[in-house]
Amino acid sequence: MSGKQYNILSSRFGRADGHKLAVYEREGGYQALRRVLGGMQPAEVREMVKESGLRGRGGAGFPTGVKWGFVPQGAEEVYFFVNADESEPGTFKDRLCLDYDPHQTIEGTIISSFAVGARLAFIYIRGEFGWLIDRVQAAVDEAYAAGYLGKNILGSGFDLEMLVHKGAGAYICGEETGLINSVEGKKGQPNIKPPFPAVAGFLQKPTIVNNVESVASVPWIITSGPAAYKAIGTEKSSGTKLFSVSGPVKRPGVYEVPLGIPFREFFHDYLGGMVEGEELKAVIVGGSSVPVLPAAEIMNCNLDYESLAQAGTMLGSGGMIIIPESSDMVELIQVLMHFYFDESCGQCTPCREGTGWLHKIVKKLRQGAGTPEDLDLLEHVCQGMAGLTICPLSDAAVMPMRSFLAKFRPEFEALIQETAPVGPQSRWPRGEQE
Amino acid sequence: MANLTIDGKEYEFPDGTSLFEACREARGEALPHFCYHPDLSVAGVCRLCQVEVEGMPKLTIACNTTVREGMVVHTRSEKVKRASQQILEMHLINHPVDCPICDQAGECGLQDQYMEYGLYESNVTQATKVLKTKAKVIGPQVILDQERCVLCSRCVRFCNEVTGTGELGIFNRGDRALIDVAPGVELDNNYSLNTVDICPVGALTSRDFRFVKRVWMLKSADGVCPGCATGCNVRIDHEGGRVYRLKPRRNPEVNGSWMCDRGRMTYKALHDERRLTEPRRGDQEARWAELQDELATALDKGALGLVVVSPHQTLEEMYLAVRLAGSPGKVVSGPADAGMREGDSLLLDADRTPNRAGLGVVGISELAGKDLAAAVAGARGTVLVLGGDPAADAAVAAALRQHGRVIYLGTHGNETAGCSSLVLPGAAWAEKQGIFVNRQGRWQAFQQAIARPGNAREDWRILAEAVGRQDEEAALGSLKSVRAALAAAVLADPSIDLNKLPEHGFAPGGEN
Repeated sequence: MSGKQYNILSSRFGRADGHKLAVYEREGGYQALRRVLGGMQPAEVREMVKESGLRGRGGAGFPTGVKWGFVPQGAEEVYFFVNADESEPGTFKDRLCLDYDPHQTIEGTIISSFAVGARLAFIYIRGEFGWLIDRVQAAVDEAYAAGYLGKNILGSGFDLEMLVHKGAGAYICGEETGLINSVEGKKGQPNIKPPFPAVAGFLQKPTIVNNVESVASVPWIITSGPAAYKAIGTEKSSGTKLFSVSGPVKRPGVYEVPLGIPFREFFHDYLGGMVEGEELKAVIVGGSSVPVLPAAEIMNCNLDYESLAQAGTMLGSGGMIIIPESSDMVELIQVLMHFYFDESCGQCTPCREGTGWLHKIVKKLRQGAGTPEDLDLLEHVCQGMAGLTICPLSDAAVMPMRSFLAKFRPEFEALIQETAPVGPQSRWPRGEQE
Repeated sequence: MANLTIDGKEYEFPDGTSLFEACREARGEALPHFCYHPDLSVAGVCRLCQVEVEGMPKLTIACNTTVREGMVVHTRSEKVKRASQQILEMHLINHPVDCPICDQAGECGLQDQYMEYGLYESNVTQATKVLKTKAKVIGPQVILDQERCVLCSRCVRFCNEVTGTGELGIFNRGDRALIDVAPGVELDNNYSLNTVDICPVGALTSRDFRFVKRVWMLKSADGVCPGCATGCNVRIDHEGGRVYRLKPRRNPEVNGSWMCDRGRMTYKALHDERRLTEPRRGDQEARWAELQDELATALDKGALGLVVVSPHQTLEEMYLAVRLAGSPGKVVSGPADAGMREGDSLLLDADRTPNRAGLGVVGISELAGKDLAAAVAGARGTVLVLGGDPAADAAVAAALRQHGRVIYLGTHGNETAGCSSLVLPGAAWAEKQGIFVNRQGRWQAFQQAIARPGNAREDWRILAEAVGRQDEEAALGSLKSVRAALAAAVLADPSIDLNKLPEHGFAPGGEN
């Protein structure tokens, strides 16, 4: 059996012609835009999105309508960015939105730009998504040709230009100020805040950066109304959410489900449980940066912002990594620590040095040179990194590290014991001695 | 104004004050930091100046926070202490700790702050450190050691924001990040050594000073750069009668935190082999004692034909030259274009003399070269040349040679010394006290750093003695008395004590 698929976002997923303007229009596309430009005020649109309870789908979960409200009243020059730099390990939902249904994101972007007063919008696409850039560019061209972009859109007097920008391959450019810097031609690294981009972003002008999934949800909210959106999900987590599931479950992939769905139900009804011969050991529920939960804990959680926060983790991007009993948790954390070590932009000292240090210690454990003190040292390094930097990348490394240690410490200890040298204690592998 | 509490005490600061500066004032010392600099933009990357602000969920960096009414700030709580200790440890884990061979040792942010906020046991072994390039020459003045760098980005911001030359950048990312110049680019601008000053560690060192002196052996005196009319405030670092380097002293009214590389090198002329150390009559060395009578005769009011004063002299010396000459027509300066070169829009002035404005204060007019030559030719009696090198102008040199009775009181064996019958060794700028008036009309006093070489004497003393011989009432036996007379002669408010000028200089008739 399988669970019910919602289709606010995913109705055209998997369809060979879903990306075409004619198909999108035939299925009701650009009706929301027509309605907005047919007489709504930007403030009304902002209010609708605020009322819908839509929260940022990039990972932080900040209410989208509230974020839009941070643009100073009367700002003349405002920019809108769609963040399609999807790079969080385990996350692969935005690429489906853009691949199968680029017009939904484009329509959402036009409406969002209207709502915040932007006249230029960027779709910032992760550089590794080479084919997507062509796909989105083709859709943007179609939208221009159909009069949905450019001057005097649909005769409303509203102008909007849209540019598709290709990232150069850095995780940190998914952080909104890093993204803005990279479009400005600067090194892709986050800015110190305040000021926030809504006040001084691209070219020091008010700028809103929203995730693809958030933007793609906007047309539906306009057409069906905020109340209908709010009716889905829980009180504080309204609407549907895309979960991209990887790991040895029977049916991995991207699912659109109402927020608040019990994990147990999602796991069994949608994912079909584990493949033969595998047992569920743990789940990283919202992309690699959130704390891991052992099977017993995740089984009692609902998939919404509040329940997961209560369980000590985060909904994040919905990049769900299913970890089977056969996985070595120390090996897994080494992969993750290598990722953050490699991707730290290096400007804040705790992150620059801490990510490298964590990676070195974990690598040392895996090389068979670990000592029990190393586990304390890992915790010590985490403490020097947590909450002390400009952007959350440092915390994004700390959260998996700490949770792996806290929830699976016996695996670390067993590895140290197995590989303990017989002779005098050696702190570092041969060849790396002082 | 904002009222706030820092470490349990209440303070009031103007709105917009940086919390970092507020804490500096409240604590009597700065918060730990590497990247903050009052004359650069806020980078907020070293993360060391974390403070606890009540009501905020996390620690916050003081450098990117402004004071707010009612703020309650803790800078010495356990949470803050632990954070600064741990962040400091992060700064050090990949540092080579090569202090014994590092020029920065003794004035290093890592050393000082480890002693103040660190003092933990190291968890790191040398073998696991990230290795980077050492001792890379990146420009005519500066050497880069990438391993020692803490990536505070001050040098990068300096080249972007102050000089606008942008030679330096941070390349790569994570713990592989490093400061460097782009291929084919050199850190070659007239302000490059400021990057060495603001480098809180030993990553950027001065090629001129490298391996020359341990910094803790140096003594310091407050000086004013003699290199141009800007009058950048400097610290003269010296030991055993030698000056080893000049460093800028912060003066927001004049030079901010900076000075130019050219100005820094002015100290080298102090130890030039052409320095005059003994009096000389013709080709013969002489002793001051033997010259007493001769000087008394030659500098007597009746015998003195002309005094030529250089804009390199101090204001006190200029004043005494006027007193000695007796009448305004007998004291001039020139050639007027001497020391004029090309300047820039930052600090370096086209006028490479430190006290041309001082000439105006005491009423000495400048003559063009040919007019000065004519004045020398027409002088009846002794010509006293006070500093500078007017004979670098051929017409003036010819006139001085022709004249025959020329006394030169100066510091270097130059053209003018060669044209003079009597040469007296005077004190160079680092060897005396004095006042320079800069291009803004700001009076800036400087201290004596080192002793005069050989038998060189303070110029003001020679002049004051000569004035005293003519005017027994003069009472100019000390620099203090000279300054009192100077103030009485030229200032609207003669009660101003020139021995105690304000820290950032004094602008008569101006705001101070």
